[in-house]
Amino acid sequence: MGRLNLAHCVNNPLLVLDNVEKRFGATVALTGVDLAIYPGEVHALVGENGAGKSTLGKMLTGVHSPDRGALKLDGAPIHLSNPAESLAYGLVGITQELSLMPTRNVTDNIMLARELGRGPFVNDAANRAAALAVMDKYGLAVDPDVIVADLPVSSQQRVEILRALSRDARMIVFDEPTARLSAEEAQTVCDVVRQLAAAGCAVVYVSHFLEEVLAISDRITILRNGKHIRTGPASNESRESLIEAMTGSTLSDQFPTPKFAPPDAEEMLRVDNLRLDGTTAPINLAIKAGEILGLSGLVGAGRSEIGQAILGALPAKGTVALAGQDISAWSIAQRIEQGIAYIPESRRDQGLMMMRTIQENVGLPYLSRISGWFGLSHRADTENARINCENATVKYGALSDDMTTLSGGNQQKVLFARARLGAPKLLIVDEPTRGVDVGAKRKIYDLVADMAAGGAAVLLISSEMEEIVGLCHRVEVIANGTQVANFQRNQMTEAALIQAAFSGV
Amino acid sequence: MQSFAIFFRSYGILVVTVGLFVLLALSTDGFLTFRNMRNILDQQSTVLIAACFMTMAIISGNFDVSAAAVYIAAPLVALVVENATGSIPISILVGLATGFAMGLFNGLVVTRLGVNSFIATLASSFMFFGIGYLVSGRSIIRPETAEWRHIARTRIFELTTSTWFAVIIVIIAMVLLHRTRFGRNVYACGANREAARLAGVNVSRVQVQTFVMLAVASAFAGILTASRTISAQPSDDFSFVFAVLTAVIVGGTSIAGGQGAIWRTVVAVFFLAFLTNGFNLHQIDPIWQRLIEGIVILLAVSVDAWTQRR
Repeated sequence: MGRLNLAHCVNNPLLVLDNVEKRFGATVALTGVDLAIYPGEVHALVGENGAGKSTLGKMLTGVHSPDRGALKLDGAPIHLSNPAESLAYGLVGITQELSLMPTRNVTDNIMLARELGRGPFVNDAANRAAALAVMDKYGLAVDPDVIVADLPVSSQQRVEILRALSRDARMIVFDEPTARLSAEEAQTVCDVVRQLAAAGCAVVYVSHFLEEVLAISDRITILRNGKHIRTGPASNESRESLIEAMTGSTLSDQFPTPKFAPPDAEEMLRVDNLRLDGTTAPINLAIKAGEILGLSGLVGAGRSEIGQAILGALPAKGTVALAGQDISAWSIAQRIEQGIAYIPESRRDQGLMMMRTIQENVGLPYLSRISGWFGLSHRADTENARINCENATVKYGALSDDMTTLSGGNQQKVLFARARLGAPKLLIVDEPTRGVDVGAKRKIYDLVADMAAGGAAVLLISSEMEEIVGLCHRVEVIANGTQVANFQRNQMTEAALIQAAFSGV
Repeated sequence: MQSFAIFFRSYGILVVTVGLFVLLALSTDGFLTFRNMRNILDQQSTVLIAACFMTMAIISGNFDVSAAAVYIAAPLVALVVENATGSIPISILVGLATGFAMGLFNGLVVTRLGVNSFIATLASSFMFFGIGYLVSGRSIIRPETAEWRHIARTRIFELTTSTWFAVIIVIIAMVLLHRTRFGRNVYACGANREAARLAGVNVSRVQVQTFVMLAVASAFAGILTASRTISAQPSDDFSFVFAVLTAVIVGGTSIAGGQGAIWRTVVAVFFLAFLTNGFNLHQIDPIWQRLIEGIVILLAVSVDAWTQRR
């Protein structure tokens, strides 16, 4: 693969970001980032989950506009407020979720909204020829007459790229393009990326697959916690240097010190030979009262599925025992009633009823406890919500306010208030600090540690290695749905976790 | 602006209805009379009975257009049984059981087969209309007993039994929705199905229950109508469910589920009834009535969409 002469492209950057900042509510996603993208280069953005790499990618294609700082295209300042505008400048984003018409053929998809023809009539032959011409120019072949839904995902991606190229794309941003692909398919995407760059197109490549990034990039930009760490030639980086820069090494006082569970504590959760549909390797876990067990790994490694299977929300074979009792055949409601509390990965989609009140959201799983012959006890319901919101440090106006009135951190705390109301034997928390600002993070860590100290077993699922290292007594690393490594607290380092997480890929 | 939107969403229908009431009371002689009010209550009782449970079904995230078919088929079954046995209690029970079975059918098709509720109940409507034709032999059925007419038309404290039934059923529905665990689960299913499931709510069971209750209520409304008219006739007339849906939607229950209240549906039933009554008293062409009713529904839905967007 021919590397580009970097000295030659330093002359004319295509797109320049000048000291940009982006906030989502109180969360600072990016701050003080300077970046220049050159034509013909493959520029990778790397960082941990939440470091801001996707946000940066989306800023380049107008999905997000910067709150501060400026974008310059060919040296002239531009303002992008939506993807359609950036498309007009030739700046295109390709994401995991493709925007194709699956029931139409390749030509129709490539030529969408720019069909050739006369008046109201479309000329199929001319369109097909135009599509073929674009394929020829960039050396990307796809059968123009095939229905898109019948193509493998990597070819569908290629169709989307071709559509972008047919509209004279000058820069294409790929956001985790290979995350859902098999190894061979991923390789074809990498080939396409190199071809695009060779044809003079700028490519921005957002990925957490470090080997891939090292193999295809000309330059790499590393982000951590929304800050630009450095940008440099890929040839100067190694896997180790990237991991070190991505994680930093500070753990300081972001985390409460976990209390150690007495070795003779009761075993609260025991999972034996748990097999989810489609996975081959069985999962075995055990957590004692007071212990926090981390499930680490990459996004999509199958950690959330394990949590859901323990809750009974996903079908699985094998046995799950709660405080010595086999609960494998129980319904979700029974498991919750007998002491499992679950805080899901996406609070909006899986956890909360956003349009309903705080009180209803706290009480939902435990209404049977306050329900008698004369219906619900309104007083008990209010009291439960008030006490637990207070303990979970939720900041709210009134318990009758909608969830939408709360910040992300406080919404998350409402789920903790719900879990506390259950006084569970086992707490399963999935990505508890996703989309939560720094201040609320510490509170949430305290809540997790507090519930463990109160005698609950905690299963903490997180892709933030920092969180796992800071909070857990033990960790199991999951890759491709399999347990690939485990560490005790004194052996845990972020580098070790990341190494293990990638080992299964 | 935001607080106004919230206020309007919750109490707009009440303000508008009270306004219309005052307007009609001042502008006509016939409106604010005991007789007229009693008639309105009696006429609206069947719609009220079904609309409460329609509100519940829509809050839980479903749509049910088969209420009209149940409303027509169940009293036919009841009258066939009445003709055969001569027993009014047995015939009413069988009529309600017919509603129960039809609601169960709807609920199972929607939850087990995963068919969109609008489509599923549209299909089942035709089946239920067909059952109506089958059991009646395509003809009007009249009761054998003289007492049949008394089911809906007996006067208690000057109001018809039909009105009293509606009052009782509205109260039961309100208590169910607002004071019980079941009611909370209904809101949860519509507000966020997945969150409800993960919180241990048996979403399918709750939704089946709402279908069953709505169908039983529709069957009862049909029996009351059959008592009032001393007959039942097979047809495939959807107008009952449209009247019910109009009230629920004008009452501000979100068609997306998760939001709504029975009291607002009840107020909306009266708003629409006052509107019709006012047109009649002012002797305005009924054609205008339809036009205005259409505009009112559009307004209600637009307000809903507008307050959702804010």
